[in-house]
Amino acid sequence: MHNTSWHSVGNSMDECIKCNICTSYCPVAEVTESFAGPKYSGPQAERFRALDQIAAPDHSVDYCSGCRVCNEVCPAGVKIAEINARARAQMAADKGIPLRNRLLGRNELLGKAGSFAPALANFALHNPLSRVLAEKVMGIAVQAPLPHWSTDGTFSDWLARTKHQRLRSEKKVVYFHGCATQYYEPFIGQAAVVVLEHNGYEVIVPPQNCCGLPLLSNGEFVAAEGYHQGNLARLGGYARAGYPIVGTSTSCTLTLKEEAPELLDRHDEATLAVKGATWDIFEWLRELAEIGELRTDFQPLGSKNEPLVLPYHAPCQYRAHRVGKPSLDVLSLIPGVAVRESRARCCGIAGTYGYKVEKYQIGMDVGAELFDFVAEQGPVSLTACDSETCRWQMEHGTDIPSRHPIEVLAAAYGLYDLEARRVRG
Amino acid sequence: MLDLLVIGAGLAGLTAAYSAASTGLTVKIIAKGMGVTHWHAGTIDVLGYDSDGKGVARPLEAIGDLPDEHPYRLLGTERLSVALANFAALTAAIGLPYTGAQTAGDNLWLPSPVGAARPTFLAPAGQVAGDLSTGQPLLIVGIEGMRDFYPKLIAENLAKQGHTARHAFLPLSLFTPRHDITTLQLAKLAEEPTRLDPLAEALARLVKPGERIGLPAILGFENHPAVLERLTKATGASVFEIPTLPPSVPGIRLHSRLRRKLEAMGVRVEIGMEAIRFGAEGAHIGWVETETSSRPLKHRAANFLLATGGILGGGIDSDHTGRVWEVVFDLPLTIPQERSDWFRPAFLDGSGQPVFRGGVPVNEDFQPIRPDGTPVYANLWAAGGTLAGADSIRERSVEGIGVGTGANYSLCRILHASRD
Repeated sequence: MHNTSWHSVGNSMDECIKCNICTSYCPVAEVTESFAGPKYSGPQAERFRALDQIAAPDHSVDYCSGCRVCNEVCPAGVKIAEINARARAQMAADKGIPLRNRLLGRNELLGKAGSFAPALANFALHNPLSRVLAEKVMGIAVQAPLPHWSTDGTFSDWLARTKHQRLRSEKKVVYFHGCATQYYEPFIGQAAVVVLEHNGYEVIVPPQNCCGLPLLSNGEFVAAEGYHQGNLARLGGYARAGYPIVGTSTSCTLTLKEEAPELLDRHDEATLAVKGATWDIFEWLRELAEIGELRTDFQPLGSKNEPLVLPYHAPCQYRAHRVGKPSLDVLSLIPGVAVRESRARCCGIAGTYGYKVEKYQIGMDVGAELFDFVAEQGPVSLTACDSETCRWQMEHGTDIPSRHPIEVLAAAYGLYDLEARRVRG
Repeated sequence: MLDLLVIGAGLAGLTAAYSAASTGLTVKIIAKGMGVTHWHAGTIDVLGYDSDGKGVARPLEAIGDLPDEHPYRLLGTERLSVALANFAALTAAIGLPYTGAQTAGDNLWLPSPVGAARPTFLAPAGQVAGDLSTGQPLLIVGIEGMRDFYPKLIAENLAKQGHTARHAFLPLSLFTPRHDITTLQLAKLAEEPTRLDPLAEALARLVKPGERIGLPAILGFENHPAVLERLTKATGASVFEIPTLPPSVPGIRLHSRLRRKLEAMGVRVEIGMEAIRFGAEGAHIGWVETETSSRPLKHRAANFLLATGGILGGGIDSDHTGRVWEVVFDLPLTIPQERSDWFRPAFLDGSGQPVFRGGVPVNEDFQPIRPDGTPVYANLWAAGGTLAGADSIRERSVEGIGVGTGANYSLCRILHASRD
């Protein structure tokens, strides 16, 4: 059967009927004139790029945050966000990439470097003087919510430390942790491991690279391809053997599923095998729930009379996964949790977008919709979101701590301390 | 298991979900993108022109003259009237009340974005004061630099039709320092007091006694009724909106309010999900799959309702060889499979083009049928633009068909009977 959305990125521009629904919904175009809007920067400008008349005719495409609201609302199936991403890559190829974007694109390298001496690295990065310098010299906004390196070791350190406690089972699942879990938030991975084990699965954690998304969104396609190759080599075997590969970072899993194949135009066997085996962890858990195999021995999370009110924001990457809101579906099974669904379009951070000095305020203006939503929920102790940078931005914009839904689920199983962020026992 | 999966989030899909959910059925909507509500004028056009292209004064009375296979003929005047009355009640309940002409049953004739008289049956409170059946003079006010709204053109065309009309401009700087902005963003700005007050003052200075004021449809988004009231009070004149070119704020308001109402009733509305495949055992559909970033996602339900629209809405597709197909279930269509039979020799033929009258044929319960009249699937229904028998853009019946066939009460009855 013919389907427009299966068109290649380039050809999909011909489906555009110029209705401007995308421009109306674009959260970036709404708050700044720097971005001309998805229709102009996407399918419209693409005609000139495609004809090779002018290389990268409008620089405003750099202001597209890649949130993909445009893709979602488009009635014609145009892959606007991907058209923009490719245009950015072309600009990067033509003009070169600033040092800042090269750094922000290298999450894995930064993570690794800092984790040798995390306390020192945290001081070096987060003291006010360095932040002013980082803004002046490199253009990383002084207020931007940068992460802290874990001072309790990496996720791999924890795995090695708790090796003898890990479950061995016939049923196995591969876990893709991503850089943020490895170096900044190892407790997210710990929560994922105990949830999967609680459901009877042995968790395999093969060595892995950065998924490459930060490089892709900063237009460094060649370097991203290197990372992608590394992951194919390490995950391909599991994928072919039929193991599901689940991830807690909605951006990493999206990259393995679609971003890398589409943007890098890779349709080789290994890419497709890994694409087909990769799941967002809640997408996979929801599937377990649907066939009645998700354990539901939950402990209510709120106090006796009061449920835990949890404002939940689905990250933009779910929009791109096109699997609905699986965390919401699973969290709603837990008694004593009143999940309040945010309908905000985007938190504004959009990966590394909101870190950049010229885009920081745009990001905060875009996020205002979400921060207002949280404030409307009355006093709450926590919020939740699946994506790490979105959580950091939500914390920055609301001053309320934020959790990954997998932490909430682990806590509901009684396996995790939601406040201290560590595995119990 | 879900009682009903609705495919499509246009007026037909939203109405179908509402009517089913309000009888206690569990419902979910999936849609490829935002539906036709974002393109249309936000009005409910029931029947504007007959098959000779003549204006229809009283649409419900003209239904008997339509061809036998027209969805309205299958529906019958009574079911259509009930659906329209229920829709009007629903719009009042969601704070966006729709009304008809002063003489019940008449069409309203509202100014279009080029100043033509546009027949419609129900309109939001913010548009009815534009009714051209009355001779009250009109002041059409535009905003300098705003794309897609030309007050001079509108006033000139209204004058040519015998109306007393003039035009005026307000500066865009009243709303924003920007040079370019969408209608939806303007609407959101217009409801902020810092913009609304100067707008009210400027209009009060412009209007002459006895005039009514027509503005582009940007008079607020969340607080549209309050904006309208404020402007009416400040000017002492009736104020009305004229729909702009798409995207249409009145349509988006309607979509947004309906969607919120549905979500409050427990209906999930998933946009950005394109149905690509289905599974059936014999005549029973078990699931529909949508495309995702990796493997397809299965949506299981006891029943399915197809509201994906026609050729414009994307529910029916075609290729250069002349092949035409319904995109989800590959249902039988009444559209000729010979490309040469799609069109008449004259491009602007008064009786329309055959291809646009084609679609999915259904029985009286609105179940898609085969040429022999038997239902294709036991648990499949259809509504809206995908249905065969109407040339809805030409006859101005898009929304009437959506609302009328979306509110499928016989479907609700059947589902309840099978559940009990």
